Amino acid sequence: MSSTQQSPLCKPWEHSFSRRQLLGATGAGIGALGAGALGGMLDPAVAEELKKQEKQVIFVWLDGGISQLESWDPKPNTQFGGPYRAIPTSVPGIHVSELLPQTAQQMHHLSIVRNLHTQDNSHSAGVARINRGDPKNRGVVYPYLGSAVAKLMGPTSSGLPPYCWVKPYSGGFKTGDAGFLPAKYGALAFGDAKAPENLLLNESVSLAENAKRNELRKKFNNRFAKGRRNESTDANSYVYDVADTLMQRRDLFDETKVSDKDKDRYGRHALGRHMLMARRLIEAGVRFVKVNSYHWDSHGDNFNACESLIPQFDRPFAALLEDLNERGMLDNVLVIAMSEFGRTPRINSHVGRDHWPEAWSVAMGGSGIRRGHVVGKTNNLGTFVDGDEYDIGHLFHTWFRALDIPQKMMEYNNDGQPLPVANEECSPIEELLT
Amino acid sequence: MTPEELLKRYELAPSKDDELIEYERQLWQARYSPCGRFLIGCGYDATIQRWDISGEKPQLMPELTGHNGWVQAIGFQPQKNRLLSADSWGQLACWSYAEQATKPVWSLPEAHPNWIRAIAISPNGELVATGGNSNSVRIWSTEDGKLQREIPHPDRIFSLCFHPKGNALVVGDLKGIIRQWDTSTEAGSQSGDDAKEVRQFDAAILFNDEAETKGRIQQCGGIRHLQFDAGGKRLVCTGQKQPGGGFATGTPCAIVYDWESGKQIREMPMGGAQDGFSYDAQFHPDGFVMATSTAFPGKGHVWFWRPEDEKAFFTSSKLPNGFSLSLHPNGNNVAHLTSKSPNGNGRALKDGEYVGGSARIRLLHFPIEVDA
Repeated sequence: MSSTQQSPLCKPWEHSFSRRQLLGATGAGIGALGAGALGGMLDPAVAEELKKQEKQVIFVWLDGGISQLESWDPKPNTQFGGPYRAIPTSVPGIHVSELLPQTAQQMHHLSIVRNLHTQDNSHSAGVARINRGDPKNRGVVYPYLGSAVAKLMGPTSSGLPPYCWVKPYSGGFKTGDAGFLPAKYGALAFGDAKAPENLLLNESVSLAENAKRNELRKKFNNRFAKGRRNESTDANSYVYDVADTLMQRRDLFDETKVSDKDKDRYGRHALGRHMLMARRLIEAGVRFVKVNSYHWDSHGDNFNACESLIPQFDRPFAALLEDLNERGMLDNVLVIAMSEFGRTPRINSHVGRDHWPEAWSVAMGGSGIRRGHVVGKTNNLGTFVDGDEYDIGHLFHTWFRALDIPQKMMEYNNDGQPLPVANEECSPIEELLT
Repeated sequence: MTPEELLKRYELAPSKDDELIEYERQLWQARYSPCGRFLIGCGYDATIQRWDISGEKPQLMPELTGHNGWVQAIGFQPQKNRLLSADSWGQLACWSYAEQATKPVWSLPEAHPNWIRAIAISPNGELVATGGNSNSVRIWSTEDGKLQREIPHPDRIFSLCFHPKGNALVVGDLKGIIRQWDTSTEAGSQSGDDAKEVRQFDAAILFNDEAETKGRIQQCGGIRHLQFDAGGKRLVCTGQKQPGGGFATGTPCAIVYDWESGKQIREMPMGGAQDGFSYDAQFHPDGFVMATSTAFPGKGHVWFWRPEDEKAFFTSSKLPNGFSLSLHPNGNNVAHLTSKSPNGNGRALKDGEYVGGSARIRLLHFPIEVDA
C-alpha cells in the first residue's frame, strides 16, 4: 500500500470540532476546540475562551549563550562594544546589532528585555535552571517550560502532542524535561526535523489491520495497567497514542509540501529548516514547539563565530515572525528567543567572550506581549543592569500570563505537595504585557 | 648558517631589561614604521596609537582618531611616510604618521559597506588594496583615495598582500583559499570584469566547516595573515590548523609556499591542538619565518623556522598570547604585542571594578647585533 493511500492528510480545521465537542465546549472540557473554526457560531464569550485555549508557543533556544552585545543590546564604539555597528529597526529609537538586519525589520512584532540578571554562569547548571524558571528549591525537579505548558494547557484541538522539540542530532521521546511531572509531559523530539523512525506502517499492514492492532494493544495495556496504574504505564500508552496521531499527520514531514520559496526564506541550513518546521508544527496545532540550536558558546574568536552563527538565526527568525503575522497567528503564538545567559562584555585574550548572567537580553513577541518595546537597560558599557533587574522567574510569570493561564492553575499538585508553577518571589513584568 | 648558528644569533629571551609599552586597551597590531622611528598600534578602541621610539624611552604621541569600531588593518606607504588604516565600520583613512598633526590626509568613511579586515600597499606606494566582509577587494590611490578598481571575491577576505615585484595581489579568505590576482589595469578600467584570477594556493587545513565535519553550524578559521619575503620568492600565510568553534582551539600554524611553482614548501604548526591562532608572521632577511600565536592566557609561542628545515630552530613559550610581531628595520629588535585580558565566566571584579583587557608591547633584542 502506498503512503498516499494511507495518508488522509487531514488539515487542522478538518478535525477542529465535532457536534459533541461543540456541545461540550460550554462546559469545563473545552480544550478540544479550535476557535478559528468556529466563526460566528458561538457566543462571543465562549469563542473568546476557546481562543485562549489555542494559544501556542515557539521557543528558540540558542544553546551556549548568544552574545547580547552582538545581538539585542549593542554598545557600538564603547570599550566592550566589539567591532559592529548598531542598526535602526522598524521601531524608531530601537537599535540592534548589524548582525540582525532581517530581524530588525520585524522589531515591531518584538519586545526586548535588556535587564536580565540571572544566577548561574555555568552551562551544566544554568541550562536547566533557566529552562525550569529557577524556582525555589523544594526538593523536586521542576519541569522545563515546554513541559510546564503541556501540563497547564494540554494539547490544542489538533490532538497533536502538546510539546514538540525540533533539534539537531537524535530525536525520540525525551522525558527529562518533564521533571516531577508525569513522563508523558516530556518532549517529543524530531531529530533534524525528521519524522520519528518507523512512522510509516509496514507496507504489509493495512489501515484496517492497524486499527485492529491498536485496539488490541489498548486492551492489553488497560489490563496490564489495572491495579498498577503509574506514570510509566501512562507514558507508554501515551507514546503509542502520539505515534498514532503523528501517523495521521505524516504530511508534516513531507518536504515536498514546502515551497522552495519558503525554504529559501528560512535558509536551507539546520536552524532555518528547523524553524520552518516549527512554523509548520504550530500551524498544525502543536501547543509548544522548542527549537534548539547548539554551539553558541563562543569563548574564542567570538566575532567570527557571531558572523557565522547569528545570520543563521536572523534569517529564519525574521521569516517566522513575518509568516506568523501574515497568517494572523501572532496574537495567539508566543515567540521567545533566548539562551542560558549572555556573554561577558570583556573580550578575553582569545578574542572570545565568556559566560555572563549579570546583564543580558531576551527577545520575545506575539501572544500577550507588547510589540516594539524595550524593557530595562544596561549601563553605557553594557557591563551591568542600570536600574531594575529581572530574573528568569519574572519571565516565567510573564509568559504564563501572556498565555492566559488562569491564576487558579498557577500551582502544581505533586502527589499532594502544592508547588507554585513559577518562583513566587517573582511576578509578571507588567510593562511587557498587552 | 646551521640551525645552531641561527639560534645563537636570533634567540629571543624576554628579560626584565626589555622595554615594555603598556596600553590600556587591547591592540590588534603593533608595527615599526619603515623609517624605524615609530611604533604604531591599532586595535579595539578605534584609535591609532603612536610611539616615538627614537629616544631613550618610547614617547607616546597624540593618538589618531576618527575611526569607529575596531581598527584591525594598517599599512605603511614609505615613500611619503604615510599610514593607511581601516576600521570595522568600513572607513579607510590616510595619515602622515610622522607628524604631530592628528587629522587624516584623506579619509573615506564608506570605503566598504562593512568591516575592512585587511590592507596591502603596492610596492611603488601608489595603491592601497582593502578587503573584508564585503567580499570584494577595492584598490585605491594612496595619494587621494580615488577608487581605481574593484575585484569581487567569493568569500570574506581576511588578508591581503602585494607581491614586492610586479602586479600580483594575493587574497586570503575564510575558506582557506589564497587567490592570486593580476592587478594590472587597462586604461580607464575600474570594474572587476577584467580582473584576472591567476591561480590559487590551497590552505584548506586553515578552515573547517563544522556543519560538514561535526554536524555543528559554524564555519571556522580563515587565512589571517599573508606576507612575502623581500625578494618575492616565498609567501607565508597563518591561521589555525583544523580550527574549531566554541573555544576556537586548534594548532596555530604558518604555511610557506614557493611563489614560482605555487607549491607548499613547509607547514609550520606550533603548539598543541588546544592552542589558538597565529595572526602574524613575517620573513626575516635571513630567510626564516618569524611567527607568533595566541590562545588562552599563558598559551601561545614565538617561533622562528627556516622553510628548508623540518623543525623550528627557535621556539619560546615565554612569549605567549602574541597577536603581532614586527622586525625593526635595523634588524636587531622585535616588537611583540600581547593581549592581557583574563578569561573567566561571571562577574570577576578587581577592586570592585569590572576591568577590561589591555595590551603590552615588549621590545626585544636579538643577542647579536648586526649592521642594518
